[in-house]
Amino acid sequence: MLPSSDPSQLSQALLETGSAPGSAKDTWAIETHGLSKHFGQRTAVDGLTTRVPSGTIAGFVGPNGAGKTTTLRLLLGLVRPNAGSATILGHLLTESARYLPRVGALIEAPAFYPSLSGRTNLEVLARLGGYPMSRVSELLEVVELADRARDRVGTYSLGMKQRLGVAMALLPDPDLLILDEPANGLDPLGIIGIRDLLRRLREQGKTILLSSHLLGELEQVTDWLIMLNQGRALWCGPARDLLAQHVELVVEAEEAAQLDLVVRIVSGVGYAVTQENQALRLACPASFAETLNRQAREAGASNLTIRVKEASLEQVFLALVKGDRS
Amino acid sequence: MISVIRAFRSEVLKFRRWSVLAVAGVMVVVSTFLAYLTFHQLASGVTNPEMTDLIAAFHSPQGLVSIIGQARALIVAIVLILVSANLAAEWTQGTLRNLLVREPHRLRWLAGKMLAVVLFVLLSMLLTLVISGTLILLLARGQGIQTAAWTGPVGLRIGLSFVGNEVLCLIGFSALGMLIAVLTRSVVAAVGISLAYILVFEGIIGVVAPQVAHWFPGRVFNTIVGATVPIVGPTPTQGYLAALGAALLWIIGFVVVSAIVFPRQDVNA
Repeated sequence: MLPSSDPSQLSQALLETGSAPGSAKDTWAIETHGLSKHFGQRTAVDGLTTRVPSGTIAGFVGPNGAGKTTTLRLLLGLVRPNAGSATILGHLLTESARYLPRVGALIEAPAFYPSLSGRTNLEVLARLGGYPMSRVSELLEVVELADRARDRVGTYSLGMKQRLGVAMALLPDPDLLILDEPANGLDPLGIIGIRDLLRRLREQGKTILLSSHLLGELEQVTDWLIMLNQGRALWCGPARDLLAQHVELVVEAEEAAQLDLVVRIVSGVGYAVTQENQALRLACPASFAETLNRQAREAGASNLTIRVKEASLEQVFLALVKGDRS
Repeated sequence: MISVIRAFRSEVLKFRRWSVLAVAGVMVVVSTFLAYLTFHQLASGVTNPEMTDLIAAFHSPQGLVSIIGQARALIVAIVLILVSANLAAEWTQGTLRNLLVREPHRLRWLAGKMLAVVLFVLLSMLLTLVISGTLILLLARGQGIQTAAWTGPVGLRIGLSFVGNEVLCLIGFSALGMLIAVLTRSVVAAVGISLAYILVFEGIIGVVAPQVAHWFPGRVFNTIVGATVPIVGPTPTQGYLAALGAALLWIIGFVVVSAIVFPRQDVNA
């Protein structure tokens, strides 16, 4: 299901079968085809083919140096690809002036003019983009910085700068929001605030591409996942599908004979099984639970307890990345 | 055009930074102080042989311009540093990526920014000349020194000609600062290279190959000012019109190279 030997084939295969949740295939907010970027001898992005459906929160994960930030820079027209193409909000990557007015972005650590106030920093970008000044006040309220708006950004904490960065990204009331580690430096309340904000934006129909190392946080908010390693996609598809493919069935029975029966059924279909005391642990898709239950009943084992234990995104991430490296 | 105006208006907001205002303040204060020192020496009857030309020009229509023009080298250095550092800081601080996401037409952004920065340095220079000129006039009148030649028709014409050529000179140095910033993409490198170029490189070329050196940009930009008031800049051996033509060609060259390089650069800062 997840061939680790050729991740590019994997992503292609998944893309061909994966469809946007609740949307037609022509409503992809982002599509990349064989996108590549080299810096000298180093390949940062290597033939990346991915898609992000409109109206979703797409998690963008990968280890350090996987090419996440370079990909985001490519999408924003800040760096030029060596090969491949991309479409953002229906426009080609080469037409960045046509789609960027509808895109908000926070890339890496938010960069500001430290000797200017938070409000003036936003006004600089509002004037540049031609947005009304009322939008600045509105966003300072949204990110809860209104009371510190006239203070120099140099006096802000990391979390406050991060919130100002989110306000900056929201300036154009974007259809596509690209956020790189937006929760960096935020306290738990701040993280919850960002999570709620992202959900509200999704409810408004906006698409959010969210790069983060906080996998637990991503698991809570994303509907779509792109997993990157060494510049290539290991996974691109619905988050729930990825998690569903990595479950563990825990089968318990009072009699050892019934467990032996289960082992025979499971071995017959080729799934790995390990025995622990009075329980069996099976690595298989969640859908196999129903099949197993039926086959076991037919074979006479009717008192089985089958529990589906879903893997965390962190476990899946480790499994995929380690698999890819090996 | 609307994009350029937006970029210009956006840039104007950034002049509230204390670092930018401080540099302009240094230009005004130090230049005025230098003018005062020069005036004080001349008014007190100095006989220093190195000031022979200044002493001779003191009571002529060139007198006032000669005094306030003594800080020209400082003004040029400040302008070059301010322009190159201001632009390169967008890379160093990482703010360039925010700006180019909001204005993807890079040349329009650069045009708007440079218009604002050049206007700022020119206004700073004009303010410096007005303040130092007013101070010197007041001091001279207070000490009973005859200033009729300075403010007469000939003196005013020399003054206006000086200001006009100084404006062109500073536009030239601003274009040079822009190119250095675009090529280096770092404040430290931009300022270091700017100063090394003007203070060291052109100086060495001037010693090794003086005939070639007077066509180099720093020399040419200063020369067009020296054509008006020889005491405040080098006298153009190639003639004013040739120096003016060369200055314009250098400015066009700097703008064209910047316009070719900047849109093709990857923004990794």
